[in-house]
Amino acid sequence: MSPVNIFEKISIDPPYKRIYSRLGFKKRTTELPAQQREKTDALIMDALSLITLKGCTLKAIVKKNDGKEVVISDDLIFESIKLARYLRDCNEILLMGATAGSNIMDAIKDKTSQDNLSTAVVYDATASEMTDAALDWLMAYANNQLRRAGKILLPRRFSAGYADFKLENQKNIHGQLEMQKIGVTINSNFLLLPEKSVTAITGIYG
Amino acid sequence: MNKRSKIKNLLKNQIVILDGACGTELQKKGLPTGACPELWCLANAKKIQDIHASYAEAGAQVIYSCTFGANRFKLAQYGSGENTYQINRNLVRLARQAVGKGVFVAGDIGPTGLFVEPFGPLGFEEAVAAYKEQVRGLIDGGCDLIVIETMIDIQETRAALLAVKETADIFAIASMTYEKDGHTLNGTDPVSALITLQSLGADAVGCNCSTGPEKMLEFVALMKPYAKIPLVAKPNAGVPRLENGKTVFDMEAAAFGAWSEKLARAGANMIGGCCGTTPLHIQELAKTVSGIQPKPPLRKSLGALTSSRSYLLFEENKPLYIAGERINPTGKKALQQEFLEGKTAIIRQMAVEQEKQGAHLLDVNVGQPGIDEVATIKSVIGLLATITKLPLIVDSSRIETIEAALRIYPGRMLINSISGEKEKMEKLLPLAAKYGAMFILLPLIDGEIPHTAERRQAIVKSIYNSARKFGFTRDDFVVDCLVMAVASDSGAGMETLKTVRWCSDAFHGRTILGLSNVSFGMPGRPWMNAAFAAMAQLNGLTMAIANPASAEFMNIKKAGDVLAAREKGALKFIEHFSSVNASANITMPPLKVTASGYVGVQPPTSLDKMTQTIMDGDKESIMPQIEAALKEGKTASSLVDEVMIPAIVHVGDLYEKKIYFLPQLMASAETMKKALGFLEPHLKKAASGNKGKILMATVEGDIHDIGKNIVVLLLRNYGYHVTDLGKDVPARDIMDAVKKENPDVIGLSALMTTTMVKMKEVIDTARAEGIATAFILGGAVVTEAYAQSIGASFAKDGVEAVKVVEKLIKR
Repeated sequence: MSPVNIFEKISIDPPYKRIYSRLGFKKRTTELPAQQREKTDALIMDALSLITLKGCTLKAIVKKNDGKEVVISDDLIFESIKLARYLRDCNEILLMGATAGSNIMDAIKDKTSQDNLSTAVVYDATASEMTDAALDWLMAYANNQLRRAGKILLPRRFSAGYADFKLENQKNIHGQLEMQKIGVTINSNFLLLPEKSVTAITGIYG
Repeated sequence: MNKRSKIKNLLKNQIVILDGACGTELQKKGLPTGACPELWCLANAKKIQDIHASYAEAGAQVIYSCTFGANRFKLAQYGSGENTYQINRNLVRLARQAVGKGVFVAGDIGPTGLFVEPFGPLGFEEAVAAYKEQVRGLIDGGCDLIVIETMIDIQETRAALLAVKETADIFAIASMTYEKDGHTLNGTDPVSALITLQSLGADAVGCNCSTGPEKMLEFVALMKPYAKIPLVAKPNAGVPRLENGKTVFDMEAAAFGAWSEKLARAGANMIGGCCGTTPLHIQELAKTVSGIQPKPPLRKSLGALTSSRSYLLFEENKPLYIAGERINPTGKKALQQEFLEGKTAIIRQMAVEQEKQGAHLLDVNVGQPGIDEVATIKSVIGLLATITKLPLIVDSSRIETIEAALRIYPGRMLINSISGEKEKMEKLLPLAAKYGAMFILLPLIDGEIPHTAERRQAIVKSIYNSARKFGFTRDDFVVDCLVMAVASDSGAGMETLKTVRWCSDAFHGRTILGLSNVSFGMPGRPWMNAAFAAMAQLNGLTMAIANPASAEFMNIKKAGDVLAAREKGALKFIEHFSSVNASANITMPPLKVTASGYVGVQPPTSLDKMTQTIMDGDKESIMPQIEAALKEGKTASSLVDEVMIPAIVHVGDLYEKKIYFLPQLMASAETMKKALGFLEPHLKKAASGNKGKILMATVEGDIHDIGKNIVVLLLRNYGYHVTDLGKDVPARDIMDAVKKENPDVIGLSALMTTTMVKMKEVIDTARAEGIATAFILGGAVVTEAYAQSIGASFAKDGVEAVKVVEKLIKR
């Protein structure tokens, strides 16, 4: 297993289209006056100033994949038929985690308690999409490193809680990625805190 | 002639051919998965030498040593960090042995794999030191030039380039890797990188890896108009894809050669190949570009600033550039306190606001007694580099503060300022030259404040003569024409304007003014500042340090840009004032959609306006409208039943049809809530009952509640009494609340598949305890089928939840 690579500040352009889409905006259908768009853009900017994207990745060799479980090491075994199938052609995997930080969650809580849900929903959508975009960024970064070795990441990623890959796995992934170093903890229900934090796995191909 | 001059001369006469891929060729030669390429090459010298030789035979004039990952951080992963120097030296020697003296050997430097401050954990000086260690090995091994390549972090590239420049006088190439969207993964675009790196002393700048030649052609075309130095292009053989367990690069050698010709014609001066290319590709490249006359750099000098994520070109006849002045502790107690406490909230807010208000760059001054100014400027630059795209002006009277800023700033900054004082010129001009910064030329000399335009002109010329010795041109600085208060000298404004005019027309230099000084001691300062800005614009002013929050100043500036023919077509002016007028016209929105859904043609009544206000989500306007309606004799219940409920129902319809999106729905709901809160006492007087009681909770184990909060707000809008138990609520607590509140409907929310199962637990518990109340479920993972399977109703969103609840209560 490689050492954990920590990314303290991930700088990405905000995925405006995805944020708007998450808020229910539909091109050619939603009628958005210029003022409302300006207001929404301004709220997205406010949210961005409260988001600190951090991430971490870890490369590991697949010791065994029998179609039912993927064995990385003695204490890192993923039991999932769907995940095993997804990783079937890969000798290595990339584990990744990302967070938008706690400031944005505090702001969402504050806005909600002030009965300002119209702001809270924009903050929430921005934080969700930025965190997801951070995973995209981590994958693009890993692809850049792998390209020279003639390798490439599988295009999609798999997260604990999807299909038969139980959420309980998140505890192990969180630990392996040392996510506490980027300010992310995990609760007894295997949920990451702050809320806008995610983990995922993908395969390294080639 | 030294090697650097030799390479420069070669570039004047021909396209220089670089080698092709090393990593993918090493794999073909048997480099095992997970092995360190550099250590493997040392152990298998013949194999790497064969690759070098085959590229030289194919026509490469420059081959790269196999030292891409030979920095101490990467080598440490293989237990060889301490041998960095020797590994680099020996790998360059292997390359030299392979190709002899007729081919240039480039010492190859790649990323450390760590991001450098302010973008990552690796200290800037630590990065510079690590690269110096590698550079020493490469130079002692006998390389002819250094190539810094495949970089995605502009700050790490700066660290590597500084390491080269501070170690030896050797030709240095800096090459970044751009994604398909035209930015590095860290968000730097090709033009910003070019300006930053050529200013810092790179001999050639370019791009490699990531994309095929087609996309790279665009990057070269973008950079060429601003390049003072040769450009480099080293594309992959197309974009990699997966095929039968292998990564495949599609582009054949002939096609690669054809694209190389286009790259040369677009202005690339050094061309080679990156991942997936082979000696055959390089052979085709050499054949195709042979005889093409190289396109020389188009610029001798360039007035431009950069941040890590944007650039600002100072061009003729462009709108007045605004430098936001607010990040300065003078007279700002809260900011002073923040600096003392090492906090950043106010700076963050000031930066974001000024960018939003239209500043093109930010002036930053951290000068304050009682703080470590050097540490503070480093930390503030680190913060601003990550929260704003705007380039910075660093404003300090202390040389050590400017020096610290120059070293850490991840772009080309503007120094504020260099005056004619001996110490400033002696120390700051060399620093500005080393880091390639622009500077504000302040026409002060030996304690003298020149009052006349003529004297200022003489000092400007004198400082410029000194600056030329360091290679500066008129493009590299901006003249501060000195603004004095008209309250103490009525002619001060005119002397400043004369200086601006002289700089613009006769000296052909750029100008800047700290506008607000002019009105010091006067009333109506914003107006005087704005008038002065307009007059200075007409005299050719390039840039103003001002507060972009001043509407007077910004509006006059926008008008001035149009009147002085600096904003052709006036599109921004028209756009700005259209939106200002629209926002002023809040009581008469252009589209009058009534609650019943038709476009009204009659003049709107006060109730129509209230409907529109709810539909617009205009919380500020609703209260006066309700008060007016009550005064007109309308009852609270009629307002709710005949105006507000129909309006919010219509908003719900628009949301369901996707004509409204979520923030609009929420804004309308909040406006409705505010109105209902105001009317509540009146409704009680009228003994109006509510429509039903709802109990809402996010189930145990789930901490997500925004969806549930939306449903609560909408239900309350429709007149339901809602008890919200919050999130992560155990079944037992829900049961206790049910017994206490006796609701008509219980709403449960869950976001995760793992917590969704708790919904069944709650419903089973309720039924076991004899509670027959209807349940409604919602949340990202919940489906109608799941809800039905556990005996509950389902709603996909808040608007549907209202309808389902209505049906459940009627039933």
